[in-house]
Amino acid sequence: MANYAASEIASVLKDAGGELIGRTRLQKLLYFLREAGMGPDLSFEYRHYGPYSEEAVFAAKEAKYEGLIEEEERVANWGGPYSVYRLLQDVEGSPERAEFVRIARDADAVQLELAATALFLAKGGEGSPWEEAERRKPEKASGGGLGRSKALYSKLRAVPGFEDRLPEL
Amino acid sequence: MVGQRVRDPLHNLIEFQTSTEDLHHVLWQVLQTRPFQRLRRVRQLGFSDVVYPGATHTRFAHSLGVFHTAARLIETIKKSAPRPQKQKIDQTLAAALLHDVGHGPLSHAFEPFGKRFKLEMAKHETVSERLITDSEITPLLETISKGFAGNVADMVCGKGEKSVYSAVVSSQFDADRLDYMRRDRLMTGTQNSAIDFEWLVANLEVGELPYGVDEVQTGVRDTFVLGPKAFFAAETYILALFQLYPTVYFHKATRGAEKIFEELLCRLYLLTVDGSIDQTGLPENHSLIKFFRDGLKLEDFLELDDTVIWGSLSLLATAKDKYVAEFATRLRDRMLFKAIDVRARLEICFDGDEDRIDHALNRITSEISARNEAKFADGPRILFDRAERSPYKTLESGGPLNQIHIRQADDALVDIRDISDVVRSIKSFKLYRAYVARDDCDSQKFVDDLIQSEISDGQLRGI
Repeated sequence: MANYAASEIASVLKDAGGELIGRTRLQKLLYFLREAGMGPDLSFEYRHYGPYSEEAVFAAKEAKYEGLIEEEERVANWGGPYSVYRLLQDVEGSPERAEFVRIARDADAVQLELAATALFLAKGGEGSPWEEAERRKPEKASGGGLGRSKALYSKLRAVPGFEDRLPEL
Repeated sequence: MVGQRVRDPLHNLIEFQTSTEDLHHVLWQVLQTRPFQRLRRVRQLGFSDVVYPGATHTRFAHSLGVFHTAARLIETIKKSAPRPQKQKIDQTLAAALLHDVGHGPLSHAFEPFGKRFKLEMAKHETVSERLITDSEITPLLETISKGFAGNVADMVCGKGEKSVYSAVVSSQFDADRLDYMRRDRLMTGTQNSAIDFEWLVANLEVGELPYGVDEVQTGVRDTFVLGPKAFFAAETYILALFQLYPTVYFHKATRGAEKIFEELLCRLYLLTVDGSIDQTGLPENHSLIKFFRDGLKLEDFLELDDTVIWGSLSLLATAKDKYVAEFATRLRDRMLFKAIDVRARLEICFDGDEDRIDHALNRITSEISARNEAKFADGPRILFDRAERSPYKTLESGGPLNQIHIRQADDALVDIRDISDVVRSIKSFKLYRAYVARDDCDSQKFVDDLIQSEISDGQLRGI
């Protein structure tokens, strides 16, 4: 029997419509859900792409081992690797977070990373999380990137049930 | 003109051009500060001298070595970059010197202890940041320029903008690794893990690399690359660094000592915050007690170094708390627990099926934790150590500037993993060891039975 976190990853994929592109996207989505109390209680730390969970990596591996999901590795146009996660078994989703998950699924990965980073910094006591996220990732925040990230975060917070669960930044 | 010079067993001579370079003059003064001088009393390899008696070198010597090595890497940037940035160069050298300033005593155990109780002041990045931006080091750095200390702290903690300069301080080919792997090899005496340092540096260049997030490209950046003639030296470097883990850093006796120290610290911390200092064997004004009791202050942290810990063991060995007394005695007298290589036994039976092995180890961990909680009120008596080292980190851990790129004949920059059969084929080194007292037959049997149960379960399932 899969452990709870592995089962939850499969459930999140169900909410995403059965497929999710990108390890960064998966990591940041799990981070948002954890903070909103709508996902597995994984521990996160700050890494290059913002909040990162080693436990999430293990849980995804466990989910693959149990045959719940598969991970296909591809090469992006820019030459770096990325992953595509697919649900293999029919599992129960969670209607209360499905819309949130779909927004994250369709969001630009860079904007999702910036928004998750800002939230992580705010939770760590940073008084100006967007400014600090911009300072740490200037190339991702430039050209209107920060504004689009803020808009994405507002859109995520506006999902019914999430406004009280995610803080205003 | 003669500046300041320090002799070093690895680099021979480390020079600070204090007469001609403002930054070097400032950094020489930083060396004289209390936080930096404290590193003379913090060993680079903690408990490794229980296995390698020569491994007594300090973070002080290592920090000087990283400064020296960073200066060598910066020469490459100066040759290759169209307009080398003096401020970034200064920031890099300062960060190289100060990168370890916040390390706790015997930090390979001190940090896991801190992680268990979520203690920020046990994390070396947090303390380094505080010491760089809020100690006697700070006004010295601020003489370079306003905000310089903050920029140095950002580079040390990996918070600032990623660039070829930050890669000197933190990447898979950084000054830190290039010093510690050679220094640790020299001082332990291990004959593994030699690298061709001069050839690697002679073939180091700066190249431009696209990078992105998942499938999205976000830009291009300058990064270190190695010329094609350094390909085999680069393979050797990766393998050499990797092999230091099973032979030195992850040695079973060293890790066993770290685990005992970690549990000792946990017990001391709990007794202190519980108001039971009289049970510890230490006086109320002992540096460790003050650090634990008084809210983990920076000035109390500065009192902590390896000598304080080693010096406290004789007092701790007489503690009223039997767990503290026993574990302190074990460290003082090198009476370490026996290591049971759980993973090795499963590997034989599961024929290298990593997923199956990890699954079994998750269950064994749960059983051991439950046993410790049920049977041993004062502290665990079956310790376990689970760790993994990959030979070459993935893109997710540090981004594209973290990787080692080789320039091909057509000038394309390729991650070494994509073109090296050697790098691709090295599997991660994984360990899982249980540690029990040599005279604790019950606990040994418990662990043996757990292993056997997993093996039997696997055989039933036809694995």
